[in-house]
Amino acid sequence: MSISPFIIAFVGVIGLLGIGFYGLMVCRNLIKIVIALQILVKAALLGLMAAGNLNGQINLSQSMALTVIVADTIVAVMGIALGVQIRRRVGTLDVRELSRLKG
Amino acid sequence: MISILTLLIIGIPWLGAVCLWLVGDRRPRLLHTLATTFALLAAIVTLAVIPFSTSQTVLHIAMGGILGDFTLIPDGLALFIAAIATVVGSAAVVFAIDYMGHAQQLARFYALVLFFIGAMAGLALSGSLLFTFFFWEITAVCSYALISFHNDDPRAVAGGIKALIMTQLGGVGLLGGALLVYAYFGNYQISSLLTNYQNLPPVVLGLMGFGFLVAAAAKSAQVPFHSWLPDAMEAPTPVTALIHAATMVNAGVYLLARFYPAFVSIPGWSIAVMTVGVLSALLAGLMALAANDIKRVLAYSTISQLGYMFYAVGTGAIFASQFHLFSHAIFKALLFLSAGAVITALGTRDLQQMGGLGKRMPFLRVMFVIGALGLMGLPIANGFFSKELILESGLEAGPLVFYLIMLFSAGVTALYTVRLLYLIFWGESRGPQPAHDGLPAMRVSLIVLAFGTLTTWLLAGGFSQLLASTLPFHHLEAEPTLTMVRQICLAPTTWIALGMIALGCATWLVRTRFTSLVQAFKPMLEVGFGFDALNRQIVQGVKRAAKFVQIAQTGQLNWNVVGIVSGLVVILLVALRGA
Amino acid sequence: MLFGPLIIVTIIFALQAILAKQLITSALWLAGVSALCSVLFFLFGAQLVAVIELSVGAGLVTVLFVFAISVAGDDAMDATPVPPRLLSVGLAAIFILLLGWFILPASADTLPVSAIANPPLAQVLWQERGLDLIVQVVLIFSGVLGLLGLLAEVRPPLDASMAGEVGARRQRDLHAMESQISNPQEAGK
Repeated sequence: MSISPFIIAFVGVIGLLGIGFYGLMVCRNLIKIVIALQILVKAALLGLMAAGNLNGQINLSQSMALTVIVADTIVAVMGIALGVQIRRRVGTLDVRELSRLKG
Repeated sequence: MISILTLLIIGIPWLGAVCLWLVGDRRPRLLHTLATTFALLAAIVTLAVIPFSTSQTVLHIAMGGILGDFTLIPDGLALFIAAIATVVGSAAVVFAIDYMGHAQQLARFYALVLFFIGAMAGLALSGSLLFTFFFWEITAVCSYALISFHNDDPRAVAGGIKALIMTQLGGVGLLGGALLVYAYFGNYQISSLLTNYQNLPPVVLGLMGFGFLVAAAAKSAQVPFHSWLPDAMEAPTPVTALIHAATMVNAGVYLLARFYPAFVSIPGWSIAVMTVGVLSALLAGLMALAANDIKRVLAYSTISQLGYMFYAVGTGAIFASQFHLFSHAIFKALLFLSAGAVITALGTRDLQQMGGLGKRMPFLRVMFVIGALGLMGLPIANGFFSKELILESGLEAGPLVFYLIMLFSAGVTALYTVRLLYLIFWGESRGPQPAHDGLPAMRVSLIVLAFGTLTTWLLAGGFSQLLASTLPFHHLEAEPTLTMVRQICLAPTTWIALGMIALGCATWLVRTRFTSLVQAFKPMLEVGFGFDALNRQIVQGVKRAAKFVQIAQTGQLNWNVVGIVSGLVVILLVALRGA
Repeated sequence: MLFGPLIIVTIIFALQAILAKQLITSALWLAGVSALCSVLFFLFGAQLVAVIELSVGAGLVTVLFVFAISVAGDDAMDATPVPPRLLSVGLAAIFILLLGWFILPASADTLPVSAIANPPLAQVLWQERGLDLIVQVVLIFSGVLGLLGLLAEVRPPLDASMAGEVGARRQRDLHAMESQISNPQEAGK
């Protein structure tokens, strides 16, 4: 193929970013929002790997990707725990309802 | 050596503020002692540096790229403002020993007062415009905290917030000027502006000049930004004497005097400064005639006298304006502190409830009279010499109309001063009897200030020598005291002014003939010529705009993300445009 | 050579994850995205991260999602989105186009390869990016603490009358303390 793999990879990054943001804008379920956040992080990791390969320093980008994966996993865990607690106490996972609650 | 001492002028009060805050509220006697010690120490250090004043930078700390260099330049202008801040500050702190007594949260009070004194000294001593701005803002915050010191009184809190907002909005002019200097010269140093101001495009210089004028007018409570000062009278009296009579409100005059050589070439700037001064002097003087609160009368009087200083700067008489600043700081602090003593003795601030107190409070009467001599500008008090210098230079260098208005204002000054004295100390007693005639600590600071009012005019020669030798950009001439005194006594303007003052005093004596005139003007005076209503309108307008913008804050996640993505789109558009 | 199809399938899977009606289906599509990304990482030469991504992303996170969905329940929810769908789609499309216009022309150029080409992974991980590992430990620690806090048992809140009682009692104690402290001072004068 004449198209360099890096251009394809960056197209993938941009596409995933767009889908992730669209998900954040559209979804009303808290769990789905966490899923959209995960998609955004996958996009970032893909970009990091492509840049690392392009630069010839794949090991540097691997080390950085480790930190990103740790952070993103913790975000997912906290988000899910929050979702479970909210479901137990408030009764709904709908983001629109949650923003109406007071006190 | 000088650099250490100069740094100590700022450092000692700030160290004192931290110590006092750490000592806490449980030991008032220790607090009083510590506060007085630190304030006096700062005053001594400042006075010790005066013989060594120089126009060179004595302290130079590089603070990194964006902040520029922190420099201290103890030249005549800076040192004398620092000296006023520390000396009058010490007098106010000594007065506060008896005034505050066993008040609540004394540590907070003293810590803020000392913090303010250090910041004011730093404002004057700083050679970097950015740090001048930082110190300017610190003084504004301290002023707000001290005005609202009794924070359970809604009027005090409202007064504090009003003062804060008006002076901060003015401060934007100062920040803009500092950034423009950085943009065109690469550093924030005041000296680079004063040497190279011709290299700036005229539009930029004009923006800077008028921006500084707005900042100075807001800080010094000049028309149209004057309405915060009368409302700031809710502060405890030592605070009013220090901040709103002697130091912070003078920061505006200091700013204009410092940058005068750079801005005098802007067309219309001098006239604008003169106009601001003349309007304030006249309008504030008239409003003082109608005020019934003892501190409000003095507040309007402060605005009026600051108007005289602005007028002097506009006509180019830098020495006269600074000399009047010096005299005014002393006699106005004396008047405010005496008023504070009267208020604690009677328990009221209302003039209509006072009267005939001269027999019961002879000491305070004498103090008030001495301060009044300075305010009216009668001979032997320092106010006489400084006011006459201003009027003389006004006649030479300004439009005749302005001179006549200022002359009339001098008469109005005499009138409201006599009114104030009469309503408190003469006539029949209309209200409560005084509990004391000045407590011991109060008496000490009042005597010191009264002594200053009667004698500081003798320093005029030395002062002009100090300014002329350490301000290379201003091209001042030094004159010995005796020459100045002789010149003043022989000038015809002096005799005209004295005649005007006598006319003002006489008007009070025949005031019964003027009742119809008074009734006609009273409503306009009481409503403050409509400036308060204008302020209220502005506040209402801002509230309406805020309610309109509130639509964008839905609090819902999805709309927030829409906002985020829109922001990203805007950033990308801007980046693409640049690329 | 495999990149084109892989990327296209990844994007389709991600789209399905967002558009799925049921939560559990959404979680499974996400697992698919993780797996495909892992393959992509491997193709780029990042073997370690590929393995980690596979086990964490497609394994751990998916299990967590399944657990959460089973606990929280998979209720049907009103699907009309809060901002109008046209606005969301349009905004996302504009964002994609602009970002593409911004990045893609530059991505074809080969950037200069730095002087130190690719030290071995162990050296980079432990020596050059050692601080990152400390940061990761701190992150994990705080994550565990946060989770414990989130999942802790909550005492039932005091009802209104009880809360008033407790507050009043506290005020009384404070006043008593203060008068005790200031009284010896008054007596001492």
